[in-house]
Amino acid sequence: MKQRIVAASVLLVLAMLVVVWQVNRLPRPVVITPTLTGQEEYCLSCHADLPEISASHPIESFGCVLCHGGERLALEADLAHSTMRGGRNPSDLAVAELSCGGSECHTGSPELHRDHVARVQTSLQATYAGAITSIRYTYGAQADLTAQKAISAVQALHPPEGASDSRPRALDAFNPAKETHPFVQAFGENCLTCHLQAEPLPGAAYNRLTGCAACHTPSTGRDPEQPLHQLTTVIPYTQCNACHNRGNYDLRQMNFVPRSDSSSDRMHDYYQPIAQFTRCEFELDCVDCHTRQEAMGNGYLYNNQAEQQYVQCKTCHGTLDAAPLTRTIQDETDIALRLAYLNPDIPLQVGDTIVVTEQDEPLWNLRQLPDGSFEMITKVTQVRYPVPLVMGSGCTQNPEQQESNYCHACHAVQR
Amino acid sequence: MPVTPSNAKSTTIPRRDFLTLAWKSLLAVSSALSFAGLLRFFSHEPYPAPVTKFDLGPADQFSPGTHAVIAEARSVIVYGSQGLMAYSLICPHLGCTVESAEEGFECPCHGSRFDAEGNLVQGPASQGLKPLSLEVNDGGNLILDTAA
Amino acid sequence: MRPSFFHHLHPPTIPARQSRLRYTLGAGGYSVFLSLVLVVSGALLMFYYIPTPEQAGPSIQMITFLVPFGGLIRNLHYWAAQLLVVVAGIHLLRVIFTGAYTAPRRFNYLLGLILFVLSLFLDFTGYVLRWDEGVRWALVAGTNLVQSIPRIGPGLYRLVMGGTQPSPATLTRFYAWHIFGLVVIMLIVGAWHIFRVRRDGGIAVPPPDQRHAPERISRFELVRREGLATLIGITVLLLVAAFIPAPLAAPMSDVTAQTADARAPWFFLWVQQLLKVGDAFWMGVFIPLAVIIILGCLPYLLPAIPSTELGRWFPRGGRLAQIIVAVLVVAILGLTILAALPTGT
Repeated sequence: MKQRIVAASVLLVLAMLVVVWQVNRLPRPVVITPTLTGQEEYCLSCHADLPEISASHPIESFGCVLCHGGERLALEADLAHSTMRGGRNPSDLAVAELSCGGSECHTGSPELHRDHVARVQTSLQATYAGAITSIRYTYGAQADLTAQKAISAVQALHPPEGASDSRPRALDAFNPAKETHPFVQAFGENCLTCHLQAEPLPGAAYNRLTGCAACHTPSTGRDPEQPLHQLTTVIPYTQCNACHNRGNYDLRQMNFVPRSDSSSDRMHDYYQPIAQFTRCEFELDCVDCHTRQEAMGNGYLYNNQAEQQYVQCKTCHGTLDAAPLTRTIQDETDIALRLAYLNPDIPLQVGDTIVVTEQDEPLWNLRQLPDGSFEMITKVTQVRYPVPLVMGSGCTQNPEQQESNYCHACHAVQR
Repeated sequence: MPVTPSNAKSTTIPRRDFLTLAWKSLLAVSSALSFAGLLRFFSHEPYPAPVTKFDLGPADQFSPGTHAVIAEARSVIVYGSQGLMAYSLICPHLGCTVESAEEGFECPCHGSRFDAEGNLVQGPASQGLKPLSLEVNDGGNLILDTAA
Repeated sequence: MRPSFFHHLHPPTIPARQSRLRYTLGAGGYSVFLSLVLVVSGALLMFYYIPTPEQAGPSIQMITFLVPFGGLIRNLHYWAAQLLVVVAGIHLLRVIFTGAYTAPRRFNYLLGLILFVLSLFLDFTGYVLRWDEGVRWALVAGTNLVQSIPRIGPGLYRLVMGGTQPSPATLTRFYAWHIFGLVVIMLIVGAWHIFRVRRDGGIAVPPPDQRHAPERISRFELVRREGLATLIGITVLLLVAAFIPAPLAAPMSDVTAQTADARAPWFFLWVQQLLKVGDAFWMGVFIPLAVIIILGCLPYLLPAIPSTELGRWFPRGGRLAQIIVAVLVVAILGLTILAALPTGT
């Protein structure tokens, strides 16, 4: 009996040592206490090798849980990730309001330009209303080109102004199963891979996330299995080309035909072979001219892309009769300064004069120099371009004809 | 085996006593390990320690003659005969927060009195107000550290 | 040596044949051991657990991941609790199948049955204290069974829950029952149960002239055996607790939200399966109560087992009780297995 007791005591001590060894194998807790929440988080115990997502979202202020959700105290993966919003992507539109929202963040007041999440949900990139409307109209499912359906049901933030305003007040959800025309149903099955709520087609060329990250996390060209922890406003054209310039839809087969050319340089990579474009349209990135309201919406619902997109050559270059519209920055709270601060190499100060669009959006990377001329500093490539004006030049344009195809007649480059 | 004078001084120990020694010492080891584990168990502190570093803004706003109470740090900044100093307003007697009086500070709990530069004037406290660390950081701001 | 306090807790000698592990399975003793482990580990958990709906889940996560050995203590507590229900159940079955419930041990058998039911309540209240997504069935469906009792149901439900629906008061009450109310009752009934074991003549044995093996073991030997069993028990529990974690889900976000696949705790799965078939009161309250009552009535309604047949397994005089209990066990096990199977399409 005594031998048994001694043996059992030995086993007990051994078991205790095994327990100590097992306890030490657990991940060592690493804690941060972000200033915006004041609560300890232990995500870095396993994820310390992730890069800072952006200079505007420092981890000392935000931490991880504020955007991603999750269980901040858990060191076991399944439990820690169980309450995360949107899986790997908290900016998916289904959860963007919870993740990116907040009155000081991206669901704040429109006057302070803080209503990004609400506006994006009305933009064409989210609603896809133009494509849906034109297909339904073409195949008789609706009587005119006024948008009725969107990817998800949505209400306009701003109702249409008056009887002559054709912008919709609200859109219903497009349900291919309830459509009667087989082509419209086929459209719903094959052609809805390019809007902010859709998963992209397979392949590195199409690789992007959904929601806000579709544009702001430039992951095109990467292996889809390699997540990119980055948010930026410096969006290169390659990210826009995850959806744009990828090919064409065949309306008879109702499927997508990818572009077949291979690109050797930026000029050939940028647009599909059928496009006509000038030098600035491929040397600049899309974000150098296309504004925030054009891409992310302005709270109105639009029937198609032509209505929402309004920037033209004359926005930067003016017309024969008029120089581009400008504004002088009066105080430090000007939205133009807040935007320039995100791209620190664009030196903008109070007192500078910048070009503004016809809808009073600042083109804050296009400044008027002291001598009166204009200079653009490109956001992605950081190149300074002098901006020639139409006024006082030898341009023979008809001032009534400001669409790009008129400018292309002389200025298009040979592809 | 019987203990005879010849083997009483030998180094062998009866088996039953060895076994008893064995299990008792093993249990002692287990108990010691358990006790150590228990101490570690109780050592965890769920709530983060309070902030001890305070950024007081540009250092040049504290000119000679300054007498500024920093309430959230329970401290006072004094620019007096000894230059720019910081003193804790926690009474060295039993920890109440001393209040400003005409000629310095007075503790409302037991009546200890200190002068404007923290020296002990009178009262059950046996020492003056504790001086705290002040530093100027790279940005020119004054940093108060109540833990040093 | 002079007997210590622990030695005096035991009779001077007990019959050797009946004290073998093959006869008793050591189940009663292990139930005491597990209860002690539960009290100690539970007391340690009390230093960190916070019984409010917002803090319950996070405080358990803190214990599990951040407190040194906190995960170990929690796992010990969890496994000791589940093993207690199993081991107490084995003890109950052993008592039935060895006929040790017959007079003069009938009242003590009732005390033991009460202890078993108490251990189920303790397991249930402890389970609810997690206040995570996994306890939804328990908190909503399980407690609603109380409401279904005719006449006294709604009033009893409000007493149990501290309100008309699950709320922070419910958590406080379940905590009070778990760490004190039920424990006090268990201590009193438990002490009485162990006292009655000695007063009723110790382990059930045949009368002296019928005993084939007259050897007895001393209290010293008995304490040594119990010491060995304790050492082995601690070792096994430690290893189980170190390698198999107790379940933990995300904290419950909205008490009133429904989940279709909410599961009952394992010891009530058979009740959940019954509830799929029929009415809440008859399936969820009446039948479980009837099972307890049937078990409790066995010693009183069935003929006594002659004392010559005691001291061994499956005495002939207790055949009817053995069959009834075997049928109940098979039924409950079967219902449990059915409930545990993954749901169909």
